[in-house]
Amino acid sequence: MFGLHFAGASWATLLPWFAAAAVATTLLYFLKLRRRAVPVPFAKLWERVLGDRESNQLFSQLKRWLSLLLQLIMLGLLFLALGDPRPVAQTARGRHIVVLMDASLSMQAVDEKPSRLERAKAEAKRFVRGLGNDDRAMIVQMDMHPLPLGPLTQEPSELSAAIDQVRAQDTPADLGRALAFAEDSLRGLPNPEVLLVSDGALDVPESVPAKLKFTRIAVGKSASNVAVIEFSARRYPLDKSRVEVLLEIENTNDRPAPIELTLYGDGAVIDVTHLNLAANEKLSRVYSGIAGVNRKLEAQVRLANGKSDDLPRDDRAYALMPERRRARVLLVSSGNTYLEAALLLDEYLDTTYVDAKAYPPKEAFDVTIFDGVAPTRAPHTGAALYLNPPKDGSPVKLEAPLTDFGFDRWERKHPALKFLALGDVQVARGQRLRPEAGDQILGASDLGPILVAGSRSGAPFMVLGFDPRDSDFVLRPAFPLFVLGVIDSFLADDISYLSSYQTGENWRVPTQSSATTAELFTPKNERLVVPVQAGRAAYFGNWAGFYRLSAQSPDQSEKSAHEFAANLGNSLESHIRPQPELKLGARTLQSASFGAPSIRRRSWAYFLIAVVALSIFEWFTYHRRVTV
Amino acid sequence: MSFLGRIRSAPKAPEVKRAELFDDEFQRKLEMLSLLSRRIFSGQSRAERRSKKQGSGVEFADYRDYVPGDDFRYVDWQVYQRFARLLVRLYEEEEDLGIYFLLDTSSSMGFGGGHKFDQARRLCAALAYVGLKNLDRITIVTLSDRLEERMPTTRGKGRIFKVFQFLSGLETGGQTNLGDALRTFTLQHKRRGLAVLISDLYDLEGFEHGINVLRYNKFEPYVLNVFDRKDALAGLKGDLSLYDCETGEARDVTVTDALLSRMERVLQEYRKEIETFCTARKVPYFAADVDAKIEDLVLDMFRRGGFLH
Repeated sequence: MFGLHFAGASWATLLPWFAAAAVATTLLYFLKLRRRAVPVPFAKLWERVLGDRESNQLFSQLKRWLSLLLQLIMLGLLFLALGDPRPVAQTARGRHIVVLMDASLSMQAVDEKPSRLERAKAEAKRFVRGLGNDDRAMIVQMDMHPLPLGPLTQEPSELSAAIDQVRAQDTPADLGRALAFAEDSLRGLPNPEVLLVSDGALDVPESVPAKLKFTRIAVGKSASNVAVIEFSARRYPLDKSRVEVLLEIENTNDRPAPIELTLYGDGAVIDVTHLNLAANEKLSRVYSGIAGVNRKLEAQVRLANGKSDDLPRDDRAYALMPERRRARVLLVSSGNTYLEAALLLDEYLDTTYVDAKAYPPKEAFDVTIFDGVAPTRAPHTGAALYLNPPKDGSPVKLEAPLTDFGFDRWERKHPALKFLALGDVQVARGQRLRPEAGDQILGASDLGPILVAGSRSGAPFMVLGFDPRDSDFVLRPAFPLFVLGVIDSFLADDISYLSSYQTGENWRVPTQSSATTAELFTPKNERLVVPVQAGRAAYFGNWAGFYRLSAQSPDQSEKSAHEFAANLGNSLESHIRPQPELKLGARTLQSASFGAPSIRRRSWAYFLIAVVALSIFEWFTYHRRVTV
Repeated sequence: MSFLGRIRSAPKAPEVKRAELFDDEFQRKLEMLSLLSRRIFSGQSRAERRSKKQGSGVEFADYRDYVPGDDFRYVDWQVYQRFARLLVRLYEEEEDLGIYFLLDTSSSMGFGGGHKFDQARRLCAALAYVGLKNLDRITIVTLSDRLEERMPTTRGKGRIFKVFQFLSGLETGGQTNLGDALRTFTLQHKRRGLAVLISDLYDLEGFEHGINVLRYNKFEPYVLNVFDRKDALAGLKGDLSLYDCETGEARDVTVTDALLSRMERVLQEYRKEIETFCTARKVPYFAADVDAKIEDLVLDMFRRGGFLH
C-alpha cells in the first residue's frame, strides 16, 4: 500500500482496529466537550463582555478541531508503529533466512570447547548480529523433528534468545525434514536462504529444494570417539536369576584405540575388560550367566589412558531387567506329581498346596491352579489356571467330550505359548470348550477349542480342556514351560520384555491400562505428562538413560510405576568426524559470510517518538487552554 | 426564573457568628463615631440630633415676638434694652435620627462563598452600632426583589446584640429588584431618615431605580456598593456554560485570558457607572471591597467620605 510494506501487523489487520479506535476517540472527545456549568453573579455583565461575540467562533471551533486532529494523528502514528511500515523496495532487498541449528547427538562432542553446540550457538549469534537492516531470520532446532524457536524476525535480540533455546538431543538430525520445513517457511518470500549450522555429520537427503540458497557454518575439529553401539540384556527363561548381555562397541577412529570396557550391575562393577580396537573396528561381546543383577545394567567404554573421547555421550549404554519378585502360587489339587515338579523348577515361585475342601485359604495369592476342580473363586486368590475343570464351576462351558486329539492350532505369540512346540502332543480324552464373547482361544484341535483365556469379574483365567495326565504333554519339556509361561503371563512377566528402548523412535511403554495420562521422569529429571493409549504411554524418545513412568487409573484405585531404559538409537551419530565440505545434491555449501554489527533503523521507534512528542504538545496546549 | 434557575439552588451565605462581625477593639473605636446626616429629619424622641422642631435644646434657632404665656426665661433682655422690643429666643429641639439599613440578601450577595454578604453584614453591624450609640433609631430591612425581613426599630447601644442576632440569622436567596423592594419600603416607612443601601447592585432592572425611589421619597440615601473582584471568574478557562445564579439564565462561553481581562474592565466600568450616577445626584457612594478590612472601611473611608464623623 502506497509503496510501503508493513513488516509488523498487516494494514488489513490494523485498518479496522484503527477505524474502531478513531471512532471511540472521537466519541470520547465529544463527551469531553460537554461544557462545565459555572454560576456567575450577574450574567448581564457577561453579556456586555461578549457583545456580539459568539462562543462558537470560527477560531474557537478550529482550535477544538485541532485538538481532535492531534489525537487522531497520535492514534494513527501508534498504529503505524504497530505496522512498522517500510518501503517495498527496501523489504524486497532483504534476505529471508532459516537458520537450521544442528541439535543431533554429534553436536554434543567436546572437541570444541565447551561443545560443538555451544560453538555453533556462538557462531549463529555472530551471524544474526551481522544481519542487514532488511534481513529477517528464523531459528530452527534441527533434530529428528525440526522445531522452530521463533518467527521470522529482524530483531537480533529475539534471534539470540531463540538460539539460546537450542538443546542438543540424543537423536540424529533429519536434514530432509528440516529442509522441507525451511522450504515451506520461505515459500513466496523474496531472497530465501537456508543457513546450516552443523558439524556435517548428517544423513543428506536425495532431493533438495532447488529454489533455496544454502550456506553453512561448520563446527567441529577432531573425531576421536569410541562408542557402545549396541547393548541389550535378558533373563534366562528357566533361570531368571541369571542374565545374558549382548554388547557391541565401535572405534570410529582411523587409528587403533586401546579401551577399557566396564559392565555395571545395579551400580556395582561386574566386569572390566581391556581391549585394543583396530581402526574403525566393531566388536561384539556376549556376557553369559551373569548372576547377582537384579535390575539395572550399564556398560561404559573409555580410553585406556583414562582420558575421555570427543563424544562422552555415547560411551555409556543402559539396560533394565524386569523386576523379579516371588510369586505366590496356590495349587488346588488332590495330588499331581507332574504339576508339582514343574512348579519346583522356578525358585522364585512360593507354592502352597491345598485340597479342594480347604479352598479358599485365608492368605492371598497371585495365581491359583485348579487341577481337576473348579470351586467358586475367591477374589484374593488371583488369576486362575483350570486344568480339566468339571462342568460345574468352569468359567467356560464344556461343550462336548473329545477323544484322541491334539493341538492343531495355537497362538504362538502369546506369552504363555511362546517357543512351545505343541504340534505333536497327543491327548486321549478331554472336553471341547465353548468360549464366551471376549474370551481368546489360545489352542484348538480340529474338533474345537481346548485352551481358552479370558477374564471374569476382572480376574483373568485360562482353561485347559483336558487333564495333562491323560496325554503325553506331561512327558514333554513343553509342559513345565507351559505352566511357568502361564504363571509369567499372569504376572506380566513378558518374555518379550525390552531391556532398553532406542532414542529417535516413538516409544509405547506398557503402563496402567485404564489411565489416560502418565507422568514420565526423564534422565534429566524433567517431569513430563504423556498420553496413554490402550495401556501404553506414548513418547518420542530423545534422551538415553533411565526413565521412570507412573500412572494411575481415573478413579485413582490402581497405580503403577516402573522404570525403563533407553539407549542411543543410531550408531551413525557416533561417527563424529567433521565434514569440512558438505554437498546438498549437486551443490556444495558455501560458508556463510558474517556482516558487521550495525545500528538498526526502526521506523516504529520514530513513530513512537512522534506520538510522545505530540502527547506532550497536546498536554501543554490543553493545560494552557489553547485547544479547549 | 427559568427552569435551570429553579433546579440550581441559590448560593447561601454561611452563618456569621456574633464575634465575627467585629471585635472589642473595633467596637471601642466605633464609640467615637456618629453617622452624619446632611439633612434634618424630624425625630420621635429627644436625642442628640438637631430637629425641625424648636424647643428646649441648646442650639439657638431664632427670635420671635413675645406673646402672653411665653416663658419669661426665654425673653432676650439684652435685645429689649437695645430695641425696646420683647423678643423670645427660640432653641432647636434635639431629636433622634431615623437610620434605615437596607441590606441586599439576594442570591448574588451569597455568590462566591458569601464573602460579599459577610462584608455587608459586618458593615451593617458597625454602622448600626454607631447609630445606636448616638441614640438614633435603627431599622434594618433585608430585601431582594421584595422586602424580606425587618428588624424592628430600636435605639440605644445596648440593643446591638439584637442587631447581631438579626444579622446572624439572615440567609441569601432570590433575585434582585431594588426598585420594587424599595418602593414597598418607602410605602411602609413614612418617617424619613437616612437610608443606607448595602448591596452589590447587581440588579437586572437597573440599580438606578432603587436609588431614585429613595431620593424621590425624601430619604437621604447612602450607597454602600459591596463588590468582590472574584466575580470576574479569574482563573477559569475553557468551554463553559455560564448561568446567572439568580435567574438561571445560561450562556455558552469560551473563556480565554482576553475575555477575563475584558470582564474585569467591565466590572470596574459598572462600579464607575454607579459612582457617576450617585455623584451626579449627590448621593454618597462608597465602594466596599470584600477583601478590605472592616476597620479600614469604617474608620477611614467612611470618615473621609463624610459618612461618619
